[in-house]
Amino acid sequence: MPRVRPPSFLDDTVDALKSLADYAANAVRPTVRLGVTGLARSGKTVFTTALVHHLVNTTPMPVFRVSVEGRLRRARLADQPDDTVPRFPYEEHMASLAEPGRRWPESTRRIAELRVEIDYERAAGWRRGPATLALDIVDYPGEWLLDLALIETSYSEWSRDTLAGSHKPDRAPLAAAWHAHLAALGANEPAEEPAIARASELFKQYLAALRAGPEAVATTPPGRFLMPGDLDGSPALTFSPLVLAPDAPIVPGSVAAQMERRFEAYKAQVVRPFFREHFARLDRQIVLVDVLSALDAGPAALAELETALDRVLAAFRAGRNTLASSLFAPRIDKVLFAATKADHLHRRDHARLEAILRLLVERALRRTKGAGAAAETMALASVRATREVGVRDGAQTFAAIAGTPEAGERIGNQCFDGDSEAAIFPGELPDDPQAIFSGAVEAGSLRFPRFRPPRRIADAGGRLAALPHIRLDRALEFLIGDRLA
Amino acid sequence: MSKAPRAFRLDDPDVVSLPQGETPAVTSGGVVVVPDEEPAAEVAGVAPRRRRMPWLGLLLSALGGLLLMGLGLALERMIAELFASHPAFGWLALGLAALAGLAFLGLLGREAAGVLRERRIEALRRRAAEARERKDDAAAEAVVRDLAALYARRPETASARAAIAALGDAIIDAPDRLAIAERELMTAMDREARRIVAEAARQVSLVTAVSPRAIVDVAFVLYASARLVRRIAALYGGRPGFLGFLRLSGHVLTHLTLTGSIAVGDGLLQQVMGLGLAARVSARLGEGVLNGLLTARVGLSAIAVCRPMPFAALEAPALVDVAASLFDRKAGEPAGAEAPGEAR
Repeated sequence: MPRVRPPSFLDDTVDALKSLADYAANAVRPTVRLGVTGLARSGKTVFTTALVHHLVNTTPMPVFRVSVEGRLRRARLADQPDDTVPRFPYEEHMASLAEPGRRWPESTRRIAELRVEIDYERAAGWRRGPATLALDIVDYPGEWLLDLALIETSYSEWSRDTLAGSHKPDRAPLAAAWHAHLAALGANEPAEEPAIARASELFKQYLAALRAGPEAVATTPPGRFLMPGDLDGSPALTFSPLVLAPDAPIVPGSVAAQMERRFEAYKAQVVRPFFREHFARLDRQIVLVDVLSALDAGPAALAELETALDRVLAAFRAGRNTLASSLFAPRIDKVLFAATKADHLHRRDHARLEAILRLLVERALRRTKGAGAAAETMALASVRATREVGVRDGAQTFAAIAGTPEAGERIGNQCFDGDSEAAIFPGELPDDPQAIFSGAVEAGSLRFPRFRPPRRIADAGGRLAALPHIRLDRALEFLIGDRLA
Repeated sequence: MSKAPRAFRLDDPDVVSLPQGETPAVTSGGVVVVPDEEPAAEVAGVAPRRRRMPWLGLLLSALGGLLLMGLGLALERMIAELFASHPAFGWLALGLAALAGLAFLGLLGREAAGVLRERRIEALRRRAAEARERKDDAAAEAVVRDLAALYARRPETASARAAIAALGDAIIDAPDRLAIAERELMTAMDREARRIVAEAARQVSLVTAVSPRAIVDVAFVLYASARLVRRIAALYGGRPGFLGFLRLSGHVLTHLTLTGSIAVGDGLLQQVMGLGLAARVSARLGEGVLNGLLTARVGLSAIAVCRPMPFAALEAPALVDVAASLFDRKAGEPAGAEAPGEAR
């Protein structure tokens, strides 16, 4: 994995000056930029929504110190600093979690930002008393991070790697139509838009098929092809790898030249702005991982998830900040890896879930810690949709969870309608996390149905109870607790 | 993978839902769903320690028994003689003897209770450390519950205990739960303990500075240290009687010798500087600071030995925290400016 570094001297200077300006602004108005990311369906939106919900409503959070010490006075939503970035629609997501629908919010398709201003009492340091911390939450798809590796890759390298990947036995059938088109398309023929568009279209179909497959994670860049946003159809998003003869120069005016130009445009116009404007300015990062779905799908999915995570995490610029680095190129100094949806398991299995996550992100964890940043893993549920029950069936006892499975979920011969409650025994996670790769977990021995969001009970005054969660307060304490000391 | 995933509909007539705490009457093939109770408290057994044959203890016990028997015989003889000569006095003596016996039993009971309580505190500290290390949630919950029970009779801990009780059986990891309990319960006690140690150290240094004879210093240092250990023990919930105190003193001494060499490092510069400065003003003043430091050390060891939780979430007091006042005052003021044992 090549190190990601802005290439031009001018950009470097501009970025350094920007960091300096940020540093100065930070001295006057303390700010923390928290990145929330994860691959598709890992629970980014729900995490961000729950986080803001608990902060804004100052709900009791026993492990979050500033809250338990009574120093958290209030938190409110404020205007975000980046005016061109979509705002995170917190209110909409809360409404969707509430009655009568009780649906999980729409997933993250693009970057979104929200600022929460936290008024608190400072208890440490030379300046005690009231203070305000601005928490900027940046929520972005983890797939975009895969693109960061492209910055230092040339078009021909990328073409070769991507094509080689698509010829693997399990992928070749998905890519058959695309391969056929590429074979017919000569790389050095004069460029014609329909042929290019067709190649790009087939390439996108191949990527979509990859993600729809049992692995369900996209590990092949460019990440923006599956989440195009407002760039859909533009030349920067219309290209495809080509079969290039090794060491043959690219003929000007040919299809290959056109593709290469667009690839470079994608890097310059899409990837680099994201890197410079958002990613490089993060202070803290949480990476959400849906371990349970991958476990559900089997060892192949887990291996794929591990690869994807490793690539994503290689993009992080983590490390301990020195004075110089915090002035000119601040680094991410705390990274939290969280296995979401811990509420799908009884608490007895949480430690095992965490062990599996630890195994999946082991390399990234070691790299992050080696660079001097703090890194931790935990199993959490941003919104806890279940409660724990014990089920006795004859002589057997099950440590189960109870909740409302979503309509259409089925376990064994039971199919749920989305209204009735059920106690689910999802199976037992292995004691030894290595067992998940060795195939000790048979397919079908674990089942994690999706649950609807929890019913929130209102008190006599009509006030709704806070959203229940598991270890969200611990995550908060780790991520921003030190800035609220 | 012994059990396959299963689902039980809660609205199924075959499935019986019970409120927490109830036990199903007779399960006739149906499925019973019970909300989870708090995990049962784990009883942490005291780790058996290998001992040598306690010859000395045996000797002392045997001698004590003999002495008691002799005493009993003498008493019996005396009472019998009194009955023979003056029956009224005989009765009186008998009553007094019974009273003495009762008081002795009472004393014994109190001593035993004190020692048991100390053991309980030590066991708590060990269990807390174990639960944190093993990340055992059930054990941590039991430790926190026992800790709250230890201070149930102390009104000043009411809000802390309420905060701990409010956690209930929420999913909180063992280290976090212990940290919450430590912060809630121990913060105020730690502050008080620091104050007590600092006060004792200052007293000792002042008395040493003004005392006319070395023997007085020694006596006072011993007395102050003993008092300090007792006060710290009482603060953290112990009720040491005489035996308990002896036991505790032994532990403090052990702790002192174990940590002494390490502790030299952390405050050495300050010690030397302060001592040098004070000694320059007067030799007796220098001795005063030295004795004060010694007492502060004893106090720190006493805190480490008496506290029912190891220092984890809160910072352990350092010598500088409790002995700083020695230097502030001594370096700036002439000898004998303050009376010994002045109140704050």
